[in-house]
Amino acid sequence: MRILLILISIAFITAVKADEIYNLIKIPNLDIYKIETKNKIRYLNTNNDFRIGLEKNITCARTNSTNLNNKFLLIEKNLNIYSSNFLKKNNIKYLVMCENLFISNINTGGIPDTKKKTLIIDINFNPKYFERMIHHEIFHMIQNSNFKYFDEEKWSLLNKKEFKYAECSTCSDRLNLDLYKKTEGFLTEYSKSIPSEDMAEVFSFLMTDKALVEDKSNDDMILKNKINFIKSSLSKIDASFKF
Amino acid sequence: MINKVKASLSEKVLLIFLILLIVVTFGSYFLLKDKCLFVKNVDPNKISFTNTENIAIMNVECGNVIIELDPITSPNSVQRFKTLIKNGSYDGSTFYRVIKNTLIQAGDIEYGNINDLNYTKIGTGKSGLGLLKSELSDEFQFKKGSIAFARKDDFDTEDSQFFITLKDIPIYQGEYTPLGKVIYGMDALEKIKSGNKSSYVLRPDYINYLKLLD
Repeated sequence: MRILLILISIAFITAVKADEIYNLIKIPNLDIYKIETKNKIRYLNTNNDFRIGLEKNITCARTNSTNLNNKFLLIEKNLNIYSSNFLKKNNIKYLVMCENLFISNINTGGIPDTKKKTLIIDINFNPKYFERMIHHEIFHMIQNSNFKYFDEEKWSLLNKKEFKYAECSTCSDRLNLDLYKKTEGFLTEYSKSIPSEDMAEVFSFLMTDKALVEDKSNDDMILKNKINFIKSSLSKIDASFKF
Repeated sequence: MINKVKASLSEKVLLIFLILLIVVTFGSYFLLKDKCLFVKNVDPNKISFTNTENIAIMNVECGNVIIELDPITSPNSVQRFKTLIKNGSYDGSTFYRVIKNTLIQAGDIEYGNINDLNYTKIGTGKSGLGLLKSELSDEFQFKKGSIAFARKDDFDTEDSQFFITLKDIPIYQGEYTPLGKVIYGMDALEKIKSGNKSSYVLRPDYINYLKLLD
């Protein structure tokens, strides 16, 4: 009987918490993980699987606490690079951590939702790219909040005339995230998918391995121009932002 | 011949226990039926306020609730709130959305008045004064007893509906326009009728009146 009462109490408490957070960002089954942070980002944990989206096509599973605690150290370390002012300007406020994030049955590292100021992160994403993926997804939020500074047509003109991006990021087989030895304007195979992914790849490499990317750009004028494009656009958003 | 059976001691104890149980049960039924029994009513006349123009008195079933408004944090929103109070718009306004031990929401002037309750549209009503821009604060902490304007999913959609928190909800900081805080009478608010899982409370409790002290 006592166990039954405890179980009922837990169910009730969870529901109430979910209600408060659901009111704000429309994702169910979330708990507060950490909200007292120096850059005011609010980390939320998934206590049960959720399915969201207009056609319920986004799914993610609850986190394992040991896994979460380990991955959180990496996530927080990378988020702490950004100031609260920068995050606010780019509508980044909530970071939802869950496992095995899928959109329309395609596994993805993160899903940005600028309107809800929320970034969903898959903590099980390939560890080799995990930290860079965080910055990659943050870039999408930056771009979504500042389209005027990240004009995709202007960006595309930086490439060779004969190059064409794919129609969408998932409708090509250009998915590899490894850094090219010889870049020729693109850092990874995924960079060749669509302009916004190309920009996000440049941004994420600048955030995680600036020296290496700048070194590569010394022999690659297209890449150099892309780096300058990203730096210039970011300085318009926040003059104090530095890679 | 019928032998008279004498009750044993344990049977007598059991009988007394049963009688006591019946007395307590019926007594409790009549006593506890009054949900306001243990709520202390606050008399604003017995309190000295330093900032009387920003004090509002909300009267609900279990007594008075004293609210201190915060025009420094949200000047336009507090002004709107005061206007609606002066117009008597909140008198009879129901607490149609109540999340037990978490928050209570009222202020749907169009569809949420107890005298003209529209369950099909409750929560969507307007004041007729237009929408307000959100006045968000990174400083205002949503402690128990915080009062704030409700809004739709988007910002800048505040109008007349407001909520009061029944516990600390730190995640609301910077998300909702604060109006002030309850300084007396939280226990009266904690007795507001909550609903089940439906989106509104059936036969909800309501504000008898809401007025400014000055």
